[in-house]
Amino acid sequence: MKKQSEKPAKAHKKNRNVAIVGIGMTSLSSHKEDQNQPEMIHEAVRAALADAKMTLDDIDCIVHGNMELFEMQFHPDMWHVLGSGAYGKDEYRITTGGTVGATMVCAADNLVASGLYDTVLAIGFEKLQEGNTTGGITNMADPLWFRNIQTGALTGTTAAMMIDEFGAERAKKAAMKYRILMDKHAMLNERAHRRFGLEYDQAEDLMKTSPQLVGELRLIHMCSQSDGACAMIFTHEKRAKKVCKKPVWVRDHITVHREENMSNLYAFEKPEMTHHYAARKLFDRNGIKDPVKYFDVFEMYDPSAWWGLDWTREFLQLKGDEHLRMLEDGEFDLDGKLPLNPSGGVIASNPIGATAMLRPAEAALQIRGDAGGHQIKKEVRHALASGFGGTMWTVLMMLEKDLDW
Amino acid sequence: MAEFYGTTVADIFNTMPKRFKPEEAKEEDIAIGYECKGEGKWKVTIKHGTIKVEEVKGDLKGCATTIRAADAETFIGTTLGKIQAMDALTTGKLRVVGDVKLLMTLLPKIFVQYTVPEKKSSVVAKDIISTITERFRPDKAAGVDMKVGYDLAGPDGGKWTIVIKDGKCAVKEGLAKDLTVKMTMPAEIYVGMMLGTISGESAFTSGQVKLDGDMMAAGATSRFFNKFVDPNAQASEAEELITIKVTNSINCRFATGTAYGMWFKGLKEKKFLANVCPKCGRTQITPREICAFCRVRCNEFVELGPKGTITAADVVYFASPDPLTGAVRKTPYAMCWILLDNASAQEAFCFDIKREDLPKMKIGARVRPVWAKETKGTFTDLLYFELDK
Amino acid sequence: MTTMTCKKEDTTNCFVFEGKMALPNQYFVGRLGSKFIIALRDKKKILGLKCPKCKKTFIPPREYCHFCQTKIDENWVELGNEGVLVNYTIVRYLGKHLPKKVPYILGQIKLKGADTPLTHIVEGVDFKDVRIGMKLKAVFAAKTTNTLLDLDHFEPL
Repeated sequence: MKKQSEKPAKAHKKNRNVAIVGIGMTSLSSHKEDQNQPEMIHEAVRAALADAKMTLDDIDCIVHGNMELFEMQFHPDMWHVLGSGAYGKDEYRITTGGTVGATMVCAADNLVASGLYDTVLAIGFEKLQEGNTTGGITNMADPLWFRNIQTGALTGTTAAMMIDEFGAERAKKAAMKYRILMDKHAMLNERAHRRFGLEYDQAEDLMKTSPQLVGELRLIHMCSQSDGACAMIFTHEKRAKKVCKKPVWVRDHITVHREENMSNLYAFEKPEMTHHYAARKLFDRNGIKDPVKYFDVFEMYDPSAWWGLDWTREFLQLKGDEHLRMLEDGEFDLDGKLPLNPSGGVIASNPIGATAMLRPAEAALQIRGDAGGHQIKKEVRHALASGFGGTMWTVLMMLEKDLDW
Repeated sequence: MAEFYGTTVADIFNTMPKRFKPEEAKEEDIAIGYECKGEGKWKVTIKHGTIKVEEVKGDLKGCATTIRAADAETFIGTTLGKIQAMDALTTGKLRVVGDVKLLMTLLPKIFVQYTVPEKKSSVVAKDIISTITERFRPDKAAGVDMKVGYDLAGPDGGKWTIVIKDGKCAVKEGLAKDLTVKMTMPAEIYVGMMLGTISGESAFTSGQVKLDGDMMAAGATSRFFNKFVDPNAQASEAEELITIKVTNSINCRFATGTAYGMWFKGLKEKKFLANVCPKCGRTQITPREICAFCRVRCNEFVELGPKGTITAADVVYFASPDPLTGAVRKTPYAMCWILLDNASAQEAFCFDIKREDLPKMKIGARVRPVWAKETKGTFTDLLYFELDK
Repeated sequence: MTTMTCKKEDTTNCFVFEGKMALPNQYFVGRLGSKFIIALRDKKKILGLKCPKCKKTFIPPREYCHFCQTKIDENWVELGNEGVLVNYTIVRYLGKHLPKKVPYILGQIKLKGADTPLTHIVEGVDFKDVRIGMKLKAVFAAKTTNTLLDLDHFEPL
């Protein structure tokens, strides 16, 4: 089968190293009726500035983004200036679907690394309760052909494939274990939106009675719809070392798109998944032989329990049922070999335009040791974070505690 | 009866007939069962604009949809919106057997949202009547000449006549002889209607309000006055958070271009036309101008199928809006990925399968297309696929 | 299998389809915005927020001072219902989303006590007579829409 073009591995060459020096998040909840969009954004911006001990005067450029069509507001970057602080500064609006938060981190990293700007503020936000998410997502499909049957972000195909590969009992049990593990992590994270307090003995009951959405994808497996914002501040090595005690370094990142539209995803012969391709390329060019051993935490964009579980195999370059065994053996727990989504992940909180930024933000907090209730006990030096969107787009990035690679 | 958020489960059911909007439920014919653990069971029958709420002692019988709450807190909380219904459904504290979307679509449409009864509003009919002249809007009542009588029963009731003439409005005690229309009702119903806690429509249809005279005139009166604002409600003013609701509707046009145009030309002729990469030989459905792998233009088209094989299938239970029409889709339906005969192995395409074939559909099954009677070169030319027996 | 060729230049089979996109949405006005609208609606009063440091008063309301970033969300002041026209234009094109029937005057009105102008509709004055500096007063809407249009328009004093 035809593969995407293969070029020899080449790491990103940067003019200068870039560090995350400020992180701000709002709480994540189902409704934020007491704040309008600029006010919500400003809460995250203030928090990031306070974290970096900076003021808006220190910011040279702002990167702003969310999902197109979700709040049905045109030019949000313009009328959010009150909240973003972009008045009199360069501002770029980015919108790449679910990946947008991660794309903003890539953009901010590139803007600083290039030398064009010294300090960049990136802001991701979403108020999902203000729009019609499924309606909005449906509009990503080809208007002439696929839009009339598209179901937004809901698909049961992965569940069907996992059941086919591992048997119904093991697959369904694993998906529920994944779901409950994420809830257990969310219970430790005060900012998380949905914290149910689920116990493992509820798995049997929920996997049978939770309402079916598509195939074996049930309501319990699916992520939430949240309101919230995240802001991050990036600066170059020289300044970061001067102003910040615990800078977190952006080592490398990769973005992979597909060529087909969604309708072509599931034939008998399947092309290499973007997640697998992205991870393979990124690890190869950075000399990572065993990602499970190398990384201390993985913050993954997991829109559903089925997808989350399936994608661990792709991202971590695992074979056969290795990913299931890791889950079953507790290796994704906070004290496991590779803690997965200590924040509770996307299943717990999903303000989409901020979601993919929350992944590197949470990973960076883990490296700093500032995650709070969901901090991993052992030292975190190497972190992996992913974003997902559109027709299986992937952004994957590596963060480091030390400048020693 | 356990009390949560200042109210009980029984309160919610007792107020249901009052909150019912018969006009919105004209087409409905449904029985909904409710079970709230520790509180009881209720059956709500809605039939062509009528409603019957009954408490059931034994099993809930003859209910198309049953809603079960794990406890009173869940039931009251989700009714008031204090607990997200989606969260309660996710954790299984709220369970629906039957049609889940009923909760989100039908119920909000046919009922006025339940609110916790105010700690007995001190407003009485007289207070409202006394503000009538200051709420009068002469600009809306130009040329109107009418006398409206209110006969309000009960201890706080009374009889009043509102005279509207020459852009002026006056209130007189007692009922005039030559009334345009007379409205008779219990005083508390009038107060409830004016405060918006009781559906006016429901009060009229249920016969709690009796009309005598020109019905049209009765309906028109509200236009002549500004809304009554409860002076005692000032305290809760700070709590009010405004939400603006809009539906943005935009007309669009989509151009197919050459390659995609061939696909629609094919549909018109009841054929599947795919283009082929001259370098790797891959067929592309729907046709794309270039092969992204080889980066060359694909000008050659071949006919595929018409029969094919199912490679993957999704049965959809969650009703989402069809963005082309705005209508909510009927569930369940299936999205099938179909590999047409002669197509390259990774080029499936996704389409509907005949609803009747849903139970028998499986991966590997053979299917054939069903076309519209008249094909016009649009996406509606292909109706669905059906199993090829 | 028969093949056919279709070159890029051949536009015989290029179609154009009519489509539609209808997406319902809602906007949370927020705590400050709600207080502002409710005052318009129920009390027929126009409120602004004043920065105690810069002594500037903003309308519509905002959480932070534009100049010094001080939080000003508690510092409400009541503005007068009268003001001065500082800028205007006449809207003449037809658009289904416009709030009034065209043509109408869209003006910027600096209310008594405010430092920022409010953009709103001006009525009751001939297009040829409208001029910068003229004094205007607010006319409130009889029917609420829970938007800025609860203040219906401004007209000459």
